[in-house]
Amino acid sequence: MTPLDPHVRSRLKELLPELLLVDGRLPPEGPIVPPHRHVPLATMLKELGYTLYVTCVATHFPDHDDGELFEVATVLRRPRRNGGTFAWRVRLELDESIPTLYPLFAGADWQEREQFDLVGVNFSGHPDLRRLMMPEDWEGHPLRKDYAIDTPHPPWR
Amino acid sequence: MAVNESDRPYVHPLYSTLERVPGLSLATTSVDVLLTWGSKYSFWLFPMATSCCAIEFMTSAASRVDIDQVGAVVRPSPRHADVMVVAGTITVKMVPRVKRLWDQMPEPKWCIAMGSCAISGDFYRDIYSVVPGIDTVVPVDVYIPGCPPNPDQMLAALARLREKVTLRRRGGSVEREDRPETAKMIQPEIQRLEDRGDDDSTSRDQLERSRSIGLGGNALRSNDDT
Repeated sequence: MTPLDPHVRSRLKELLPELLLVDGRLPPEGPIVPPHRHVPLATMLKELGYTLYVTCVATHFPDHDDGELFEVATVLRRPRRNGGTFAWRVRLELDESIPTLYPLFAGADWQEREQFDLVGVNFSGHPDLRRLMMPEDWEGHPLRKDYAIDTPHPPWR
Repeated sequence: MAVNESDRPYVHPLYSTLERVPGLSLATTSVDVLLTWGSKYSFWLFPMATSCCAIEFMTSAASRVDIDQVGAVVRPSPRHADVMVVAGTITVKMVPRVKRLWDQMPEPKWCIAMGSCAISGDFYRDIYSVVPGIDTVVPVDVYIPGCPPNPDQMLAALARLREKVTLRRRGGSVEREDRPETAKMIQPEIQRLEDRGDDDSTSRDQLERSRSIGLGGNALRSNDDT
């Protein structure tokens, strides 16, 4: 990751004082942010020019040291020369939900629907949280690690 | 319940009109020959193209291997076409749409399964979202194995289809195509639409389920006709 700009760094220090930067860079896999800081961080980054919502990726960890959990990674990009990207991760319990970024970035709409569909993360406040990829009557979330590959689905399975 | 492919009727829509005219019953035979000749040299293809086999399909329609030389024209609408070319992986979400488009095509119609994904799902076969072969849903006349097949094989498939149409017109029985299996499957053999009947309970179960989501199949439709 490219080094963060000084003014981004100072604003970040206010919001996340416990965040450690090495050489002014974020850790390559992205910092872990508590769920209640998720929306404030995105709001702040949008003010600082990170206006392009790149992606949102949820991962299921069934055997994590902290118990079974989800990790939702969000990536923003600053669309200017040497703007760089900003990625962070939020860890969630299985029944916990993460606030949606749809009011900030309209592009989050289908990204979050996809993660809801395939991994089963609940995005609270999303206006239209329906399945996107799978048929509407599909049961289960296929990208969870404990989803069996031979799960029956009539009439082909 | 099972439909043998050799029993699939070849009924041209014009026949019922022609048969009502007195004295024309002799002529219908000649007309039949004419219509068969006409349709076998003018296959209008409907590309059910979902993935990379579609690129080879486009190549076979382009100048080097020009399938127009045997009268095959690509039509964008199922209502104009009489051969559906399933080129690509068909997913569980896509398959009701494929079936719907197949039902919209006028009789007589044929289906070509192009590429190993359309034939059996191939290496996507055991994935939760992929249908293991389009022949579980629509009756396939010609299989084109390959991943993806050469454009030349498209020409060969059209020749094979012409052969089958001619044979059926003469009342000869056509051997069902062998279904090419390319990989060792994790899942047990899943029956084709036309295989049903070997195991009665399974086939009835499959048919009931497919009926419940609107996938009747030719097996159901041909029963309704007679």
